[in-house]
Amino acid sequence: MTRSSTGRGGSVFRRVLSEAVGALLFPVLAILISFAIGAAIILATGRNPIAAYSALITGAFGSPAAIGRTLVNATPLIFTGLAVAVAFRAGLFNIGGEGQFYIGAITAAWLGVSLGFLGPIALPITLVACIITGFLWGAIPGALKAYFGAHEVITTIMLNFIAINLTVYLALNPLRGSGLVPGTENVAAAARIPVLGFGLGRANLGIFVAILAAVVAYLILWRTKRGFQIRAVGLSPGAANYAGIPIGRNTVLALAIGGAFAGLGGGVEVMGVYGKMAVPFVANVGFNGIGVALLGRNHPFGVVLGALVFGGLFSGAQEMQFQTDVPLSLTVVLLAVILLLVTATRLVELIFGKRARILASGTRPEKGLGQ
Amino acid sequence: MVEARARDNGPGAKAPKVLEMTGVTKTFGPVTANDDVSLVLHRGEILGLLGENGAGKSTLMKILYGLYKPDSGTIYVDGEEVQIRDPKDAVRRGIGMVHQHFTLIPPLTVAENIVLGAEPRKGGALDLNRAMRETEVLSERYGLKVDPRARVADLSVGVQQRVEILKALYRDARILILDEPTAVLTPQETEDLYRTLQELVADGLSIILITHKLGELLGVSDNITIIRDGRVVDTVKTSETEEGSLARLMVGREVLLRVEKGENEVGTPRLVAQGLVVLSSTGATAVHGVDIEVRAGEILGVAGVDGNGQVELAEALAGTRLVHKGRVYLDGEDVTGLGADERQERGLAYVPEDRSHKGLVQDFSLWENNALKTYDEPPFSGRFGRIFPKVMRRRAAQNLKAYDVRPSEPDARAGALSGGNQQKAILARELSGNPKAIIAAQPTRGVDVGAIEFIHRQLLEQREEGKAILLISLELEEVRSLSDRIVVMYDGRIVGEVGPDATDEELGLLMAGRGSGVGER
Amino acid sequence: MEETLTALGAILASTLRNATPLIFAALGGMFSERSGVVNIGLEGLMLISAFAGAVGAFYSGNALVGLATALGAGLLFALIHAVMCITFEADQIISGTAINLLALGGTGFLMVVFFGSGGTTPRVASFELVRIPGLADIPVIGPALFEQSLLVYLMYFLVPLTFFVVFRTPFGLRLRASGEVPEAVDTAGVSVTRMRYYGVALSGMLAALGGVYLSMSLLSAFTEGMTNGRGFIALAALIFGRWNPIGAAVAALLFGLAQAVTFRVAQDVIPLEFVQMFPYILTIVVLAGFGGRAIAPSALGKPYRKE
Repeated sequence: MTRSSTGRGGSVFRRVLSEAVGALLFPVLAILISFAIGAAIILATGRNPIAAYSALITGAFGSPAAIGRTLVNATPLIFTGLAVAVAFRAGLFNIGGEGQFYIGAITAAWLGVSLGFLGPIALPITLVACIITGFLWGAIPGALKAYFGAHEVITTIMLNFIAINLTVYLALNPLRGSGLVPGTENVAAAARIPVLGFGLGRANLGIFVAILAAVVAYLILWRTKRGFQIRAVGLSPGAANYAGIPIGRNTVLALAIGGAFAGLGGGVEVMGVYGKMAVPFVANVGFNGIGVALLGRNHPFGVVLGALVFGGLFSGAQEMQFQTDVPLSLTVVLLAVILLLVTATRLVELIFGKRARILASGTRPEKGLGQ
Repeated sequence: MVEARARDNGPGAKAPKVLEMTGVTKTFGPVTANDDVSLVLHRGEILGLLGENGAGKSTLMKILYGLYKPDSGTIYVDGEEVQIRDPKDAVRRGIGMVHQHFTLIPPLTVAENIVLGAEPRKGGALDLNRAMRETEVLSERYGLKVDPRARVADLSVGVQQRVEILKALYRDARILILDEPTAVLTPQETEDLYRTLQELVADGLSIILITHKLGELLGVSDNITIIRDGRVVDTVKTSETEEGSLARLMVGREVLLRVEKGENEVGTPRLVAQGLVVLSSTGATAVHGVDIEVRAGEILGVAGVDGNGQVELAEALAGTRLVHKGRVYLDGEDVTGLGADERQERGLAYVPEDRSHKGLVQDFSLWENNALKTYDEPPFSGRFGRIFPKVMRRRAAQNLKAYDVRPSEPDARAGALSGGNQQKAILARELSGNPKAIIAAQPTRGVDVGAIEFIHRQLLEQREEGKAILLISLELEEVRSLSDRIVVMYDGRIVGEVGPDATDEELGLLMAGRGSGVGER
Repeated sequence: MEETLTALGAILASTLRNATPLIFAALGGMFSERSGVVNIGLEGLMLISAFAGAVGAFYSGNALVGLATALGAGLLFALIHAVMCITFEADQIISGTAINLLALGGTGFLMVVFFGSGGTTPRVASFELVRIPGLADIPVIGPALFEQSLLVYLMYFLVPLTFFVVFRTPFGLRLRASGEVPEAVDTAGVSVTRMRYYGVALSGMLAALGGVYLSMSLLSAFTEGMTNGRGFIALAALIFGRWNPIGAAVAALLFGLAQAVTFRVAQDVIPLEFVQMFPYILTIVVLAGFGGRAIAPSALGKPYRKE
């Protein structure tokens, strides 16, 4: 990645740029290929792919309202993408973003109502609480892995369903609201996250919280002792152990920190977009977060870009369906194809040669589930 | 040990050749693993294939078993030239292999393991009864006692090895290759194994025994082919040789360099182990009560054949492996209960024997690797758990230059460096912190001559500065030329101490567990 | 008394209905995972085949044709997973996730293509209840066990058959060996790649049976997202049953029973949501309880590359 010939000073910018280009090349390629496949599918159903894609892009970025929808879609994906990326840096696969997001959401739905009397002050308190509950919920699979040897992929999947059922129960029983839509009571209006305005619709300051979260994730991973430890454990448990870095503790913390991001995401969704936790609540943000993280090569800033792509895809799809009759589910198919392309190590090797393996690095932990 | 064989020279020259390999060459990139290797195996013969780790023994046998394709060379089985493309071909030619790391499936039964891939059938079903019967017949015929119904996971290592041999016999192997078969066995199990091998050759099989333990070959083999650095050095009749000359043949490489070593002033003990007992990762006792004292200003060499507890000893001293019994002292302080991080902070440096998986995080940059142990200490870290990459990078740049690491660009990925430069980068990290004691485990393994020289010079400089250095190496020449004293480790114990002027023969005998000071077990 | 018996019979019948799709998918998952390939795509495999079955049955008017198209779709999607995981050495978790997404998006897309809108398909031909004379007359359990869809009888048959194939045939031995120590299979002259392809392909077809049961037996139509997490419950049953066909079937029945009981008698006592958590909590407890000891096939999730 680094050219040793590059000196210091002014060329730092060039180095960063060339690294960024290298890192983006493969994801962009994956997106392009998936769009090509999508075009073939659209053609096969007798529709016009060019019209469909231009409607898609208009729907995603063509107007303030479209951009607003894209931002609203992207915000939760940044959080769940970070939940995956941080854990991934410790060599762990966090499939539990969905559940962690729900736990944060129900926390916000509860405190946003019960602390409503505090007015705007309730907001920061609520969001901090979401971070804490997400952290704790994320620590569960971490502890199960570190101290009981239970594989995090399975436990996080299982914990997703536990969290979903738990929050649905809470939202429909003890926290049930009086509104027509089943779910919790509306949180205090004063405690809501303010909308951005500028004709951006429901887009709110939550997107900045998300970007801030990405910056925090970056700082944790690359500017703190803890992050140093997490990354060392993820890249080489043997070397980490050699250097005296505790592997178990970092396993728990990496999943817990990931959970904290997803939990905050759930809180931001409730306090920003819906004002309550409806049943059913937004679905699949956790799973889509996996795609976002992979597309962003498990780097916090890549996650932000990936989330914007995914968010744009979702909002553009509506317009595409409306204008050209191409079903909006096509986007989910595209996502699946992107996922498949991004992870196929051997495919990359076959196409680009062995050296290109590094292109696909950062997309898979080299570990099995057996032990 | 086993009695010397009754038949003096084995089958003698009249027995037909069952296997012949001529001119086999195999390279992996720039590394030549086998260079024009030829060997002959006669019917009813036990041929020892002797060589140090990395001499190319296993590569040769993998070629024979169809796991590697040779670059050139010919293989004859029963006088007929053959191509062995995969293990299936090898099995068809009557070649069976018992790998050093067993290829058994722990949750399955003995019988299931044995018949896998060549299952007896009844209708479409697996005829487990027949599988068990056949296992029993085979095991009785060769005296390899196993219970066909037992799960492999529940068996001792020695019995598992019997299962591996039975697997080959079940496939009608007539040439049996055993790769370091005694590495995992107790002395009693080793004797049982050798008795079995005698029975097998009496039955007309031919056996190649790969090992680096020369002592063991004497009792059991007919002939010994010695490999060094990928080439056949010699083939000798077992009855006409003895351990000393075998040791010389095996390790006696040309002396690469003689290091100029100044007089040293020995000070107080810096790194001390008392009655150290350490368990290996499998839970077996790897170090049986070792006492060691490394004093300031001296290099204490630990010689020994690989796998005799050196790694576990180093790890226990460094704090990356739990001490089961005994104490470790660093500069007089009892550090037994402290972790690796705390011992490092108290002045213990450790160059590990495995630079790829321990010494370096391959995908970290050089500056991150340079801070792998000190990232949590000032000036690299501050309040709120912050770390300062700029400071780390600057320090790394200095260290990399000082230790002549190329490229010296701190942002380079560690994994992209050559072996020698990786090792220098580790040295840069470990030695730049001005430690009190240094554990250097195989510091020159797999690096080029230039790097070897550099590393040796660094270690001697540290010695002159009054550091206490424990040098663990498999290279006799290295141990001898650097050390002030040499202890030899065998089977987890220190079996003798000699001076740097000890002969190959003295050291070879100690390394084979046959030294004058060693009690026969 | 009679009332209680009737209720018991009803609970039993409902348990079976709940458990049947889970059992099919769990058996499928077992073939895949025993061979060493993680399959968290069971949900997607069930979903796409439930849809394909409904489409086939709708256009042909024949349930068997529907069954065939479902098996084809399950196989196709499973082969995508196989190619990705085995040939391209993709991460198996990610590939499984992608399979789930592909099925979710694909069914949504094709609903519009075939039926003009999302939601639910028109009524399609399905497997009627078949009453087995004699056996169905046994009091209480008779109607519950022997007045069921053809697919349920197929399930009765497949559980022991699967057990037999996995534990009593050369194929099963090689399959299990591939998931434990692929190197051993390779040195024994058997292709690990081929065994894993077989395993994943079988998982697709068995999961397809589960999907068919949903859209052509439990209902006579396909509804978007109708698997509703059943693929993951099947995964839980597989793990809870410790990768054993009988164990997985028992686990699935247990999960089915819990649901049936709550629906019938205890809805007010235990909230439904907690019953739905039950399989997942049990699975975690089992995984954590067996912690140190490896209960999963030990090469599960690791791509195998020959030297």
